[in-house]
Amino acid sequence: MRKPIRSKALLVSLMFVMLFALAACGSKNNNGAAESTAAPSASAPAETAKATAAPDAEDGLYNIKDFSNIKTNQGEAIDGGTITFGLVSDSPFEGTLNLNFYSGAPDAEVLNWFDEGLLTWDKDYVYTNDGAATYEVAEDGRTFTFTIRDNVNWQDGKPVTAEDWLFAHEVIGNPKYDGPRYGSDFTNIEGMEEYHSGKAKTISGIKVLGEKKLQITYLKSSPSLLTGGIWIYPLAKHIFGGMDVAKISSSPEVRQKPIGFGAFKVESIVPGESVVFVKNEDYWRGAPKLDKVILKVINPTTVVQELKSGGVDLVDAFPIDQFPDNAKMSNVEYLGAVDRAYTYIGFKLGKWDAEKKVVATDPKAKMADVNLRKAMWAAVDNDTVGKKFYSGLRWNATTLIPPSHPEFHDASNPGVPFDPEAAKKILDDAGYKLNGEFRTNPDGSELKINFISMTGSDIAEPLAQYYVQSWKAIGLNVTLEMVEFNTFYDRVGQNGEDDPSVDVYQGAWTVGIDVDPTGLYGKDAIFNFPRYSSAENDRLLTEGVSEAAFDVNKRKEIYKEWQQFMVNEIPVFPTLYRAALVPVNNRILNYGIGDGTGLYYNDIAVSADKSAVAQ
Amino acid sequence: MWKIIVRRILIMIPQIFLLSILVFLMAKAMPGDALSGMLDPNIDPAAIDAMREKLGLNDPWYIQYWDWITKAIQGDFGQSFRFKMPVSELIGQRLMNTLWLAIVTLILTYLIAIPLGITSGRYNDSWLDRLITGYTYIGFAAPLFIFALLMVWVFGFHFHWFPTSGSVSPGEVPGTLSHFWSKFYHLLLPALSMALIATVGTVQYLRNEIIDTKQKDFILTARAKGASESRVYNRHILRNSLLPIAAFFGYEITGLIGGTVFVESIFSYPGMGMLFLSSITIRDFSVVTALVLLYGVAAIVGALLSDIILSIVDPRIRIK
Repeated sequence: MRKPIRSKALLVSLMFVMLFALAACGSKNNNGAAESTAAPSASAPAETAKATAAPDAEDGLYNIKDFSNIKTNQGEAIDGGTITFGLVSDSPFEGTLNLNFYSGAPDAEVLNWFDEGLLTWDKDYVYTNDGAATYEVAEDGRTFTFTIRDNVNWQDGKPVTAEDWLFAHEVIGNPKYDGPRYGSDFTNIEGMEEYHSGKAKTISGIKVLGEKKLQITYLKSSPSLLTGGIWIYPLAKHIFGGMDVAKISSSPEVRQKPIGFGAFKVESIVPGESVVFVKNEDYWRGAPKLDKVILKVINPTTVVQELKSGGVDLVDAFPIDQFPDNAKMSNVEYLGAVDRAYTYIGFKLGKWDAEKKVVATDPKAKMADVNLRKAMWAAVDNDTVGKKFYSGLRWNATTLIPPSHPEFHDASNPGVPFDPEAAKKILDDAGYKLNGEFRTNPDGSELKINFISMTGSDIAEPLAQYYVQSWKAIGLNVTLEMVEFNTFYDRVGQNGEDDPSVDVYQGAWTVGIDVDPTGLYGKDAIFNFPRYSSAENDRLLTEGVSEAAFDVNKRKEIYKEWQQFMVNEIPVFPTLYRAALVPVNNRILNYGIGDGTGLYYNDIAVSADKSAVAQ
Repeated sequence: MWKIIVRRILIMIPQIFLLSILVFLMAKAMPGDALSGMLDPNIDPAAIDAMREKLGLNDPWYIQYWDWITKAIQGDFGQSFRFKMPVSELIGQRLMNTLWLAIVTLILTYLIAIPLGITSGRYNDSWLDRLITGYTYIGFAAPLFIFALLMVWVFGFHFHWFPTSGSVSPGEVPGTLSHFWSKFYHLLLPALSMALIATVGTVQYLRNEIIDTKQKDFILTARAKGASESRVYNRHILRNSLLPIAAFFGYEITGLIGGTVFVESIFSYPGMGMLFLSSITIRDFSVVTALVLLYGVAAIVGALLSDIILSIVDPRIRIK
């Protein structure tokens, strides 16, 4: 299923995640696309008769490895059928229903049913030639030629053309464009900045070679181009061509009667709450098996009841804290995948230099001693945190490239394991002497560490308190302050104005499909909140996107080295990786979550007329 | 009478003006803005700065305020950053939902409250009265968000009598009778949940008023004149007891326009309460300020309405 790919992948390469789903505050649970886990049943054939609701858990603990990301088919497909898809959200979807303009994740869930990108990618997030268009890369590694398949048509019957693709680039590059997409994907196109600033009338790097053929020349060749660095969403020029760019996003063609070239067509929309889709007979992969899909917004508080009663067949995300109590729901199968995200604890090591737009690492910062940081890592038992707070559905993180990128995640790297005795020894050796209950700096001055963490769910504070106590156990005086999401990132430095009173903070990142971490740890990245920099770090990050890194093995080697380097230097340390679970009604066939499953929306079918109901 | 109304309306203008400044300053004092939640290393911070500049977020507050108020007077509350549509249109969409919910709730509230209050007051200290008072105590004690969840569970999921989310079934064509019916059907359960809780105050109020009035001299007089019991209750007691309830009517409307965050979010019913809360969370200022202003105006108008009703039903209050 291509589903969540678009939702965050390409578009939002790296994004803030609220540390925990904010209970009452309009945030949706993180539902990023994730890689398929190597679950033994992932390739199990359809005849594995009865699927249980969820893997059995001993001591109430679960492991993501026991979940498949592909639904076990039960029964034979019937002709047609209607399914209900639940968009789990405590607020209505925004209704900006165009891939070139939307910004909210709920909108993406609506969009996925009726529109898609021209390229698809495999489970390692590399573009393939299986999608609506194929691509070739020239010798220089930066000139791409795309060919859109002949049978790819907009839902109003007009063909999807190279002009439409160019038009999308022109609209997003237009200074009047009001969406969030104009970023490095675009500035890397030859002539784009000139076009954006108004110096050029056309984008010199994009050429229409034929009705269905487009050529784009990029400024810099890098392996990141192949993993999400290309803008693959055309914009129908025959509809939007005559419109003022600033007005497109609020036009009825986006909000009420949107079209795409995906498997289903929008039949009707109730703004913010539901959409009815009917099948697109003309879909280029072939007509969908289902007749109709009804999408409706359901509240996280009632999602379990909706699932049990068969009110919804599929949901886009499931609040993981409700899973342990409902693991045995008999009418659904839980699909699971490793989420493309990690939680971490960061150390402030400097400031942001707003003039030069680089981080200014301060060697005299309070947390500048790597021994102190290492001891703090060794003092916390994240394995237990994952078990106690998340029933095992979040677990100890080791490196800064999460296992959602199995190619690049270095599973052999243990990080810094939990060992409070070793932590104490590190501090003793480094000269942090105990003076009463707490340790002092090596020079004898008082050491008081300020730690901030985000409010949100019920367990946000107990969890942060746990860390404070763990650090107290090795003799560190850490004071905790719980702050709200916006304030948190203001103080950590999202605007470059770091609050000097913050020494340690707990944050979380959703990572993009491209593994390159420069946007988070590069010298000129404002989101490098620890404000860490070093020559070695720069070298590794640059090499990771160099031409040499087109060789996957070489790139793996570089990132393996980088992961180890970060374990040595510890500007931040990862605490938890996380699982995403999605329950699917037993009657649904040919469905999977994550990337490169080879299942598409037109494949979904049902084995019964009515949804199965929980016993 | 008209004089009073005109005078009240004139006083409203500086009130609303003051409110608008307060609202605006408070909104600006919140940490973060609409752009701070969408940070993304793919987007050049310079581009975000340019966007801030374009939205005028870098100007001093009085300039921003001036820009905002001059447009607001003309009915243009700007563009919602998140929804990418004019705020007035967005609020209009939600307001209709909330308004319908409010009206049905109000009708149900009075349908329940008045008979219960009258029975309870007329036969006070009977077992029936105790039963009703018992219900009001439970109603006071039960938090709406628990009660509404219980209602969804029992009548929505268990008995399948009512739909459990949304304001209308997907796919209904607006303007048709079945669309209207579907809308009504969807708001019946949330409205009932709210009404059953909201009604308890009114029931007790009415009960106390009736018991009070029962002992007034003019009732004794009426009885002494030989008026029948039903005439005493319907013409003398009830009329006088309903006064304060009529007076509260204006405030009730104000309260209901605000929508209720709990009921709306439990029933996934897209109304004003939810819009307000989610706009605050993501710092969609243009929506927040417009909504607070609207609530403020509704409160002032509601108070005015209450006063007018009161002076109509109770001639003693009219100021000469």
